[in-house]
Amino acid sequence: MSRLGWIWRSMPGALALAALLAVVSPAHAIPAFARQTGQNCVSCHAGGQYPELTPYGRLFKMTGYTIGQRATVPAAIMVEGSMASMKNTAAVNNSLTNNTGAGLPTPVDSGTPVADVASLFLGGKITNNFGAFAQYTWDFHGAADDAGNNTKTHGSADNMDFRFADHIITPSQDFIYGLSLNNNPSVSDPWNTSWAWAQYVPASGGIGANSFLDAAAPYPGSGLPGDLYAGLTAYAYWQKTIYAELGVYHTAKGLFHFFNANNDPTASVLHGSNNPYWRLAYTRDWGAHSLMVGTEGMYAHPYDTTNGVDYGDVQSYQSVKSIGIDSQYQYLLDPHTVTAQVMLQHQTQYPSFLDANINGTVPATVTTFRAKGSYVYRAFVGGAAAIFNASGDPSIATRGAMLEAFVLPVQNIRVGLQYTMFSRLPGVDHPSDANTLFFYVWAAY
Amino acid sequence: MNKLNIPMAAGWLPALALLVAATGCSITERSRELGNPAVPGVATAQQVCSTCHGVDGNSTSPQFPKLAGQQKDYLVSQLKNFRGHDRLDPPGPEYMWGLSHNLSDEQVEAIAEYFNAQPPMRPNGANSEAVGAGMQIYRQGIPEKEVPPCQSCHGPDGQGLAGFPRLAGQHANYVLRQLHVFQETNFRPGTPMAQVTHLLTAEQMKDVALFLQAFPAAQ
Repeated sequence: MSRLGWIWRSMPGALALAALLAVVSPAHAIPAFARQTGQNCVSCHAGGQYPELTPYGRLFKMTGYTIGQRATVPAAIMVEGSMASMKNTAAVNNSLTNNTGAGLPTPVDSGTPVADVASLFLGGKITNNFGAFAQYTWDFHGAADDAGNNTKTHGSADNMDFRFADHIITPSQDFIYGLSLNNNPSVSDPWNTSWAWAQYVPASGGIGANSFLDAAAPYPGSGLPGDLYAGLTAYAYWQKTIYAELGVYHTAKGLFHFFNANNDPTASVLHGSNNPYWRLAYTRDWGAHSLMVGTEGMYAHPYDTTNGVDYGDVQSYQSVKSIGIDSQYQYLLDPHTVTAQVMLQHQTQYPSFLDANINGTVPATVTTFRAKGSYVYRAFVGGAAAIFNASGDPSIATRGAMLEAFVLPVQNIRVGLQYTMFSRLPGVDHPSDANTLFFYVWAAY
Repeated sequence: MNKLNIPMAAGWLPALALLVAATGCSITERSRELGNPAVPGVATAQQVCSTCHGVDGNSTSPQFPKLAGQQKDYLVSQLKNFRGHDRLDPPGPEYMWGLSHNLSDEQVEAIAEYFNAQPPMRPNGANSEAVGAGMQIYRQGIPEKEVPPCQSCHGPDGQGLAGFPRLAGQHANYVLRQLHVFQETNFRPGTPMAQVTHLLTAEQMKDVALFLQAFPAAQ
């Protein structure tokens, strides 16, 4: 068998999964926002790629999801099935076990079709000025069984964004302003180089073979250790040129517990409300081109949860400072959709999360770089390429690249083949052993 | 270290009150509601149509046609064609069917009046060999192919007339895509353009589209 034999061995299962999902998946159907506006997915999502927004999609979001008519049932569902095949799972598992004491999450299955995640979305227009986007996700490998294998389904809160927005527009003035009550720093952001939306969809987790997909590789982010929080941000977009957003985040508890529902509450604890998030962006549209250059940052104070949270100990919370610059370029003109994205972020943790002794004083820093380009033809067939590099502490430094091809047979089904390659991976002696071929079928209704 | 810490309830109550208040009141003049006949057509034009077509009808992207100074009758007929799902080219199912689905006749009229009243779209005046070739077709037609001069319906200044749209200054890419729709499909009802474009070559259509975008002063 050739060196690429593991890819070919995976194909029969991949094709079987594709055939199965093609049969059972809904056709000619549209999710909640599309039902509200009566429009196709491509009006808001660039080339039909989720989650990348078009200029119109960004304005739809900034104006609080309020364009259109309130839907009778403002709900949508999303499901994803996949099959991941790691080049040498056994070698990676052994390497990780020897170097870090912990191997791949079990089951380590490679080359086995699995159901990944399903999400329920509630969202859309509530009044002329108030709208919502709320996602609850079930991870079919999100919890361990008695034997320690991640075979149990776990459902929990996902991204949520409740908005008030107004748009003052005259031939000489264009001003959008609003408030967002949300549970994830930057989930309110309309550009897809922001933390919450940069991560390449689809994501998949839970089992060993899915551990090193592009979605699991380093991305800029808030650096917070847990899941979801409770935040309030105010934003404004002036003359379609300057976007600014400022907010604070707090632990999702009390009235806002639902923001982090069914996640580990002790893993997402912030110290007070002194956790500011900010965003500033310059944008320009010309012809079929659209450009954003921006900066995004947060200064958060999460409790270290390594050894359990001691709320009474003021020494047990840390500071995480994240500052990044990002840029996104789009060219959208039938039949072409071109996107280029670049992100660079510097993050410092005082003291280091990486240091088991939380009273240590040495800050940990990580610099994360990401670049991605994609092309879609007729919102039907497309491809993407990305590179990523996280430099800093050897225990997190990662470097690699991703290639992908996908097809959208109908607007709410996407079938893709993604290959993620590594040249540096913490705890793995031969990083290329973790190269992973990932076949997925994604559908939304 | 944490002097800015504010008790959560106290810090967020005003914001919550604002959000609750927002659910109870809304400004019809700035509504993005598409199923309420009480919303003025001007509000729909400014709050919804403008996101792609520009608040003054001068769309930035050639993906979307300019509507500035467009003939009112033409706008009304197209909105009604979209509303009735009679116009089948991609902008229909992708964008316009849903947006227009529940507009009342009065709202359609008001939206058309709003864009008709904007200062007309301005050609860029550029000249080139292709623009010259397009102008020849626009002014003279192609007699040997029995293609009539475009200006006989769309006017010597490209200003249109009633149901014939204004074309001077329109995005070339948009015009070209529509010419192909006319020639290759029956997706757009109620127009003689299928007959007119029947024998045009792809290059001739491109030349005409480039001329319309530029519309230089007559030589």
